[in-house]
Amino acid sequence: MKFAEQLLSVVVRDLEHRESIVGDLREEHARQARRVGAGRATRWHLRQSLGIAVRYGVFKLLRRKPPVRWITIAEHDLESRWWSGLTRDVFYAWRAVLQRKSLAAVVVITLAVALAANSTTFSLMDALVLRPYRFPGVDRLLVVTTIAPDDTFVDRENVSAADYRDWTAASKTAAQWAMNLWWDANLSGVDIPEQIPGRMVSPGFFALLGSTPALGREFLDEEARPGQHRRVVLGHGLWQRRFAGDPAIIGQSVRFDGEPYEVVGVAREGFQIPDGTEVWAPLALTDEQWANRRQAFYGAFARLADGQRVASARAELTSIIETQRRDHPDTNKNRLARVMTFTDGMADPGAGAFIGIWQAAALLLLLIACANIANLLMARGSERGQEYALRLALGASRTRIFMQTVIEGLLLSAMAIVLAMPLTQVGLGLSKASIPASVLRFIPGWAFIRVDAGLFVATAALATLAMLLFAFIPALQATRAHVSDTLRQSGRTQTAGRQRQWLRSALATTQVALALALVFGSLLALAAADKTVNGNLGFDKENVLVGTLNLPERGYSEPEKRRQFLNGVMDGIRAIPAVTDLGVVNNIPAGFNNNGRPFFPEGVDVQPAEARFVNYRLATNGYFAALKIPLLRGRWFEEADRPESVQVAVVSASLARRYWPGQDPLGKRFKLAHDGPWFSVVGVCGDVVHNWFTRREESLYRPVSQSPPYGGDFAIRTVGDPTAVAADFRGAVAAMDADQPIASLKPLDAMVEDRAAGFTFIARALGLVALIALVLSLLGIYSLMAFLTTQRTQEIGVRMALGAGRWQVIGAVSRRAIGITIVGSVVGAAIALGLASVMQSILFGLVTTNVTLLGVLVVVMAGAALVAAYLPASRAAGIDPMSALRES
Amino acid sequence: MPPIYLGEFEYAVLLAVLHLDEDAYAVPIRELIEERTGRPVARGALYTGLDRLEAKGCLKSRMGDATDERGGKAKRYYAVTQAGLKAIRATHDALASLTKGLESILEQP
Repeated sequence: MKFAEQLLSVVVRDLEHRESIVGDLREEHARQARRVGAGRATRWHLRQSLGIAVRYGVFKLLRRKPPVRWITIAEHDLESRWWSGLTRDVFYAWRAVLQRKSLAAVVVITLAVALAANSTTFSLMDALVLRPYRFPGVDRLLVVTTIAPDDTFVDRENVSAADYRDWTAASKTAAQWAMNLWWDANLSGVDIPEQIPGRMVSPGFFALLGSTPALGREFLDEEARPGQHRRVVLGHGLWQRRFAGDPAIIGQSVRFDGEPYEVVGVAREGFQIPDGTEVWAPLALTDEQWANRRQAFYGAFARLADGQRVASARAELTSIIETQRRDHPDTNKNRLARVMTFTDGMADPGAGAFIGIWQAAALLLLLIACANIANLLMARGSERGQEYALRLALGASRTRIFMQTVIEGLLLSAMAIVLAMPLTQVGLGLSKASIPASVLRFIPGWAFIRVDAGLFVATAALATLAMLLFAFIPALQATRAHVSDTLRQSGRTQTAGRQRQWLRSALATTQVALALALVFGSLLALAAADKTVNGNLGFDKENVLVGTLNLPERGYSEPEKRRQFLNGVMDGIRAIPAVTDLGVVNNIPAGFNNNGRPFFPEGVDVQPAEARFVNYRLATNGYFAALKIPLLRGRWFEEADRPESVQVAVVSASLARRYWPGQDPLGKRFKLAHDGPWFSVVGVCGDVVHNWFTRREESLYRPVSQSPPYGGDFAIRTVGDPTAVAADFRGAVAAMDADQPIASLKPLDAMVEDRAAGFTFIARALGLVALIALVLSLLGIYSLMAFLTTQRTQEIGVRMALGAGRWQVIGAVSRRAIGITIVGSVVGAAIALGLASVMQSILFGLVTTNVTLLGVLVVVMAGAALVAAYLPASRAAGIDPMSALRES
Repeated sequence: MPPIYLGEFEYAVLLAVLHLDEDAYAVPIRELIEERTGRPVARGALYTGLDRLEAKGCLKSRMGDATDERGGKAKRYYAVTQAGLKAIRATHDALASLTKGLESILEQP
């Protein structure tokens, strides 16, 4: 009662009025007490006093000047329907935000950064992984292929022509089919020859993909016969670039691989399926080729028949492929069905996982940001606890107060969205800039990376979700509060309610734990990214220029012609003074292509379908010298290794270990086809990392002299800058064949970097996300401690007045922070170890869980957290006891 | 003197004060209005209403005696002023003229 009367005395300044009101209430209170008992009467009295105080306060304030304080909110609290006065609610929320500008700024910036991180990753995820293809009907398309159960090397594009023909005949769930084959199309007969990424496709390919050519037509059935097949559809980009977008190109003749092809169409703008293709020709197979079940290098697409679903098509095709396994065990025994949607089937198998990790990290960051904001708002909430309690006492419904808190949250979210969009734009710009142009053609959906309405909607949805996370806890706390408890707490009690403190500590602990796990995960990713570029690759990537040529089959079908061409080019290059070593190989490490062959060692009965694949290389001796690949045993190739002499090979150490463990591999024999010729091992060389992500190092090298490849990669070791000899290289090639384009000309170290660019970028982005998370979580501890210490100022004053020393005070106030740090670190370390094991499974040998690193990180993190806690504690210990006590 | 406009609640308060005559202070005023109109009256609203009426010149007040029951606090007694009476009459007349001709409807049981 005393409190209630004090409250009235604050509001009703006029002495006489106050006396009469207090008297009236006492009179009625006495009557109430007789009727319902003292306890209920007292509560009744408090309610009435509050009601009068507010009414009176509003009345007086309205008379004097425009209301500036929250107390004016009370009037429309009395309206019971939650939606009434919604505009006023928004206005009040806006004013509540403005009252604490710096707090609002921190909340909005924190949320905006976390949102931008999420919308950047989401945009990339959406464009590159979820919806890289956006033509109509893409969800009805399938990629059908087979996969060997134990071979991660090839997981698609290994369909044989005979298998494909069986499928098209037997399947009832798929209505349309199309097949395609890789084609390095050498555009010639023009001033600068160029290698164009091309595909041989079966007629109906464009119709199947729902994109008939913009000009002209696609291929006819009769053009899919050998002899009739010299037709091309040009890609839009190629047409613009090399033919000036001339519409009269239709019907004209263009030379590819030295042969005339009639242009029958120009594809629509943006159509580059599959893998950035810029020219398409009919796939013309002979009857013999159609009957071939062994050579499996075609890709197959199918469209679902009307009314069919992916699941039913998958079931049907799987059973067809199972039948083939039984019917043709010699070739199909190891071919398991793999039926994917078009989007899944065309995706880079690694990219989804990488971006997924990043997206998960961004979501964790958002969680940390939400925990941080919830903590800040709860600190604000305890300031406003009295406002809420007062309004509840006045009859405001809990819904109303809840709604208002939610509206405030929405307002903050809306501001964060506005700020997040330009930040996202920056993030996407950085993302795009970090992907080298050479790998762009392999990234479908590249053009869809942008800020658009969909992204805005997604960000808004995420912001709302975040708002629900961070605004609900304070809102629930506000509405759950017991009115009288809160009002009593507001007096001189020093610390907030136990439950609230517990919740806030839990939030801060979560932040520390998540941030620790994120930082550890990102450090592992960064270490792995560094390893892909600077780790032990098995060769020296510095000062090597790599020039790639692909010889067309026509004109170079004779091995002797290919050998002459390669030798001629090499002689030309050797004449360049800066060149110290020079060699040719069919697939350079870090290049885009690989070549595998099944391996049949002598003395072991391996069926063709069971054979493991090994990397197959054709190389000259100079190649090993140029890349500094060491010879471990035996010898390199010799002049005496001629086509007609014994077929020899150098194998990698890992291959020797696998097939001849504990034996001398020299002189061992193997075959590359079940019924093929024998090859003899004459040397063992060091292992080379061809591709970090497929992790197949077992390689064998055959001499170019015994089997000249169709072009390949020239590895040129130079003194000084390797790019300086680029022009001489072009000259050497042109001197041998003026029509032969150079597919690529790049230093080897740049190729290694390009190869890892996507991964490096994601690792760096992860690092940035983790750094932000770390700052946020430290800020979280700091703000929590600062808040708690401020609340305990008086207590600290008392303690110091009673003789407590500086360090005792610091100890007393930072005990909670120490607890948070310890629990957070332990939980965080556990999450970090779990995360590391997940990353290890995704990134193969690239990630090694480094417990020492984790230990160091925990210590650093704990140290930083303690400093964040120490600062406010130390400030508290420095205050003058008297002024602390006087503070109310 | 410009005419004073009374709200419905103010009108009720003034009538209650007239009814209570010498005994018109907040507690019985509120009880009377609640009793006669059957509608709850918030104390805060009543005090602010009384204040407003006094400010408009419809009521005057004086401090009265204190009782034990009130913990030694004095009562504030209200009385209707001449202006207040005029306002009551004006409001009553206005309402009466509005209801004229509606007796058959209004007086049905």
